[in-house]
Amino acid sequence: MSQRNRIEQGGRIDRSRPLRFSFNGVGYQGFAGDTLASALLANGVDIVNRSFKYARVRGIVAAGAEEPNAVVQLGATEASQVPNVRATQQALYDGLTAGSTNGWPNVDRDLMGVLGKVGGKFMPPGFYYKTFMSPASMWPKYEKYIRKAAGLGRSPRERDPDIYDHINRHCDVLVVGAGPAGLAAALVAGRAGARVILCDEQEEMGGSLLDSREPIDGRPAADWVAAVLQELGAMPDVLLLPRTTANGYHDHNFVTLHERRTEHLADLAPAQNGRRTVRARMHRVRAGQVILATGTHERPLVYANNDVPGNMIAGAVSAYIHRYAVVPGQRLVLSTSNDHAYRAALDWREAGREVVAIVDARGNPEGDLVAEARKRGIRIITGSAVIETRGSRRVSSALVAKIDLAGFKVSGAVEELACDTVASSGGYSPVVHLAAHTGARPEWRDDVLGFVPGKVKGMIPAGGVNGVMALAEVLADGVEAGCRALMETGMKAAPLRLPEVRRVREGKAAALYQVPHVKPAMRAPKQFVDQQNDVTAAGIELATREGFESIEHVKRYTGMGFGTDQGKLGNINGMAIAARCLGQSIPETGTTVFRPNYTPITFGAVAGRHCGEFFDPRRYTALHAWHVEHGAKFEEVGQWMRPWYFPRGNETMHEAVQRECRAVRENVGILDASTLGKIEIQGKDAREFLNRLYTNAWTKLDVGKARYGLMCKDDGMIMDDGVTACLGENHFHMTTTTGGAAGVLDWMEMWHQTEWPELEVYFNSVTDHWAAMALNGPNARKLLAELTDIDLSKDKFGFMDWREGTVAGVPARVFRISFTGELSYEINVQANHAMHVWKALFEKGEKYGLTPYGTETMHVLRAEKGFVIIGQDTDGSVTPEDLGMQWCVGYKKPFSWIGRRALSRPDTRRTDRKQLVGLKPLDSKLVLDEGAQIVLDKEVKIPMPMVGHVTSSYFSPTLGHSFALALLKGGSQRIGQTVYLPMADGRVHAAEVVSPVFYDPNGERHHV
Amino acid sequence: MSDLSIFDLNPAAGAKPESPLAMTRVTVATVASAAKAGVVVREHAFLGHLILRGRASDPAFCAGVEQALGLPLPLKMGPLSRDEARGVSVQWMSPDEWLVIVPAGSEFATEKRLREALSGHYAVMNVSGGQTVLELSGPAVRDVLMKCTPYDVHPGHFPVGKAVSSVFAKSTAIIRRVAEDRWELVIRRSFADYLFRWVLDASEEFGVHVVQ
Repeated sequence: MSQRNRIEQGGRIDRSRPLRFSFNGVGYQGFAGDTLASALLANGVDIVNRSFKYARVRGIVAAGAEEPNAVVQLGATEASQVPNVRATQQALYDGLTAGSTNGWPNVDRDLMGVLGKVGGKFMPPGFYYKTFMSPASMWPKYEKYIRKAAGLGRSPRERDPDIYDHINRHCDVLVVGAGPAGLAAALVAGRAGARVILCDEQEEMGGSLLDSREPIDGRPAADWVAAVLQELGAMPDVLLLPRTTANGYHDHNFVTLHERRTEHLADLAPAQNGRRTVRARMHRVRAGQVILATGTHERPLVYANNDVPGNMIAGAVSAYIHRYAVVPGQRLVLSTSNDHAYRAALDWREAGREVVAIVDARGNPEGDLVAEARKRGIRIITGSAVIETRGSRRVSSALVAKIDLAGFKVSGAVEELACDTVASSGGYSPVVHLAAHTGARPEWRDDVLGFVPGKVKGMIPAGGVNGVMALAEVLADGVEAGCRALMETGMKAAPLRLPEVRRVREGKAAALYQVPHVKPAMRAPKQFVDQQNDVTAAGIELATREGFESIEHVKRYTGMGFGTDQGKLGNINGMAIAARCLGQSIPETGTTVFRPNYTPITFGAVAGRHCGEFFDPRRYTALHAWHVEHGAKFEEVGQWMRPWYFPRGNETMHEAVQRECRAVRENVGILDASTLGKIEIQGKDAREFLNRLYTNAWTKLDVGKARYGLMCKDDGMIMDDGVTACLGENHFHMTTTTGGAAGVLDWMEMWHQTEWPELEVYFNSVTDHWAAMALNGPNARKLLAELTDIDLSKDKFGFMDWREGTVAGVPARVFRISFTGELSYEINVQANHAMHVWKALFEKGEKYGLTPYGTETMHVLRAEKGFVIIGQDTDGSVTPEDLGMQWCVGYKKPFSWIGRRALSRPDTRRTDRKQLVGLKPLDSKLVLDEGAQIVLDKEVKIPMPMVGHVTSSYFSPTLGHSFALALLKGGSQRIGQTVYLPMADGRVHAAEVVSPVFYDPNGERHHV
Repeated sequence: MSDLSIFDLNPAAGAKPESPLAMTRVTVATVASAAKAGVVVREHAFLGHLILRGRASDPAFCAGVEQALGLPLPLKMGPLSRDEARGVSVQWMSPDEWLVIVPAGSEFATEKRLREALSGHYAVMNVSGGQTVLELSGPAVRDVLMKCTPYDVHPGHFPVGKAVSSVFAKSTAIIRRVAEDRWELVIRRSFADYLFRWVLDASEEFGVHVVQ
């Protein structure tokens, strides 16, 4: 296939490495070193997309991140789809497959294009909202189709097989942008021994030097780039990151860099030596100093039909010629307001193609480049501008006229010039986006005709972004920035010889944004400001007429600056137009702010490895492998994986839980209780600390004894509970809920450090150190007796005692505490030895019917006893008394304790508070929904007074009926009453209010 | 009536201990030879881990610890107090907290020695079952650590001997640099599987060898 716009010589492409690619289903060829955009231009592909709203045909405008039109859908397979890739930033690789993001049924014949053409005049800003506003209920339906017709790319429907990750980096100096300023700054910092990161979003570092006409030290600028990169690359503390976009600049010089590691190589990340390669990496950089060397974006001029393919920005023309050896047309007209853009015409002429004319808005341009153009005999039309281009699928001519800049009008006859390419330049906008991410408002500078970055602590702008444009000055500015960064870091700069660059004399640029037309903007052909969002000059005029005076409102009304390009090309022009319409200056009008990301990044890079199995840590107990081996189903409790139930054969969950419950009540069951929080407390004031922390009294708990404790927050509401054992006079072992462990330890540390530092006590988490196995059931004693040297007799080892000894030969602490109401021993051993003990119990336990049980059975058994679970039966608004646990509140303790004062408030003393009760459904098989609301009157219509809700609900095989725990207003006074539970499906369940203790209310089963 | 209940938690004989990584499987591509790997990962299981609390401002406390351990008590963050030959180290964790690591099975004897040498307000807590040590060595360890922790592991900021406790993946770890290219991670038992597999996953691209 021919590459008709490719020239024979030059460029930074490798003609010996041809690459095949396809675009919209058509095969083409390009070369290694091409971007997708340069390869498309080389092949003469004019139309790359349809526009967002009017579905107009669009071509490539720019050569970098600012490209508004060549936004493509990339990917050869469904799983590798990447939406909204700028073709100008996508390196070509063999087999690359891409398509337009817009255009249905296809980009050449678009259905919406017809509507756009016919109705374009009638589709001003707000068109969709104005037209489809009634009835409001229909908007979701309209929206579905409107979005389908417009919209950008789409996400893949299959799982992305590639991996992405994050890396944390620290440096003294982060240099963003490897153009002349960035390279000079990095060199200064690197030579001084600073830790430097230099990142650049392009395939190659060098920035504007890669398409520069100006030699450095008498040699091509690219040679200087290569030499600097080689020197930097050899420095151990300098990191070079090409293909890396600084996508977000956050507080305190935290900058995220999005590195594309394999996207220039293939559709999917290629494996290396059988090892997976990371496709994209997010560098999370903490930088001492940030040198912002992001350069400028050239502004196109806003003239009629400036979106017809063949209209480009002038600098892009030079970039395609110098970097890719592509001349994107035959006959060029250049429309400019400044000297610098003359390079495009000179480059075009040197590439052997025709320059029809340079149209300069200034009356008397003078400068070295203007002189050179004159010398070469290029026609220069002064005091004029291209006011309109003609052509449907490609520019066929340009209309040129004299213009009156001050009066904003066409002041002379219109001349039509035949051409196929119009390059325009309205000046250069510093790339302030990153600085704006920090919240710093950009500042207007009249001498630059653009906004420069606002002040950010620790940020030093250099080069183009700083309003410094001439190469010699840019290099000097980079060196100065490097020196300043070093000074701020406390390092010394070595003297650096500035490379020699010829100073190019440039004339003053004219302030030209929108070009006047012979017709007013509302009647002239569309003058596009923001091509990606189809925002026109007329649209901005209309917005200001309709009263949108704030630029932020104009942005939202018209859509200017949204989308993937974030107003990179259009924003300043749009502000200038709004300013003109409002009769004020651009700085008075102000600028919108930019937010991360600078260019779109993939969700993969955002997620990194924090997905799938690594999304959240999973915590395992020492016995987990046994549970897995024995078919346990698991439940996530916080980050812990706890056995939920152990189904046998084809048992359902219900069947398994019923069996496990019966085993515990009738024989013996065992629960892995290792996840319970455990805190070791040592110190002579340990007991006093517990007195202040818990609601109940600890003064009289003897060594060898354990006690249940309740903890309140300072508002008197229950925060956690657990059993704490007195190991020695100065030594306690506290248990907490599984989920509350870390919070309770923090809570204790806080009170100790801030309120009671005089108490001599230390705490430490021993949750992971001890494995805990809860042996429950009438056969527990007999089984344990076979394996322990501890005297288990009732008199020697009573309920709520603990003993030290060995179990299966392993040193253990055994606690006689019970969460099931059965005879129970909780065996604690050092976790490394837990599996041995657990297996030994099962070896001896078979004859006693030892059954492993999970959290679901634990829940049923404890609920039968009316034992609450903090966080399930309580919700942060429940006092101890609300649970009927007055016995656990020590109002007579001499020193106050956390929550005591709040519990004496009138509100916490009310008798009609929600209180814990039991519910017995009248239908004994019916398991009420947890969370179901309780009402007192079956017949009352919505809205009805709701008086409580179900907190726990199960079927009990032991009781032979279903039951529930609930919080009910004035519940303790309602025992015996019937309450109702209306369901979403219209059914209303009835239940009797009963005591929350359903089983063995006198505790006879565990006092054995 | 005794003040404290302490006893040796290791069985006299017979019971086979299991490290926190007993059930963990390696699922990434590994390199067969340690010499060719960018990262070599090795667990040092079953070591004795003690948390020591006390007043750094109390000279008697400091002297007592030194006497019991044969190592000076570090009074601020890093460097680690360490005797590689004896396998004993003391790490400053916070202003009144140290981590003492001793050879497997010697934690109870160490605790007793500390208690004999100390008096007043202090605490010694055995956490040996609750944590394990991963050793990472090789030329790419620093890159791997950068994929795991936001803490700056550059040699200028993290010299040999330094030890910190920091964020590690979505959990925490104690990070110790014990030699030029050798680092240790002290990780909690319940997070060990997650952290070990995270480290291996992060290491895969550099070539990782796991010492079994």
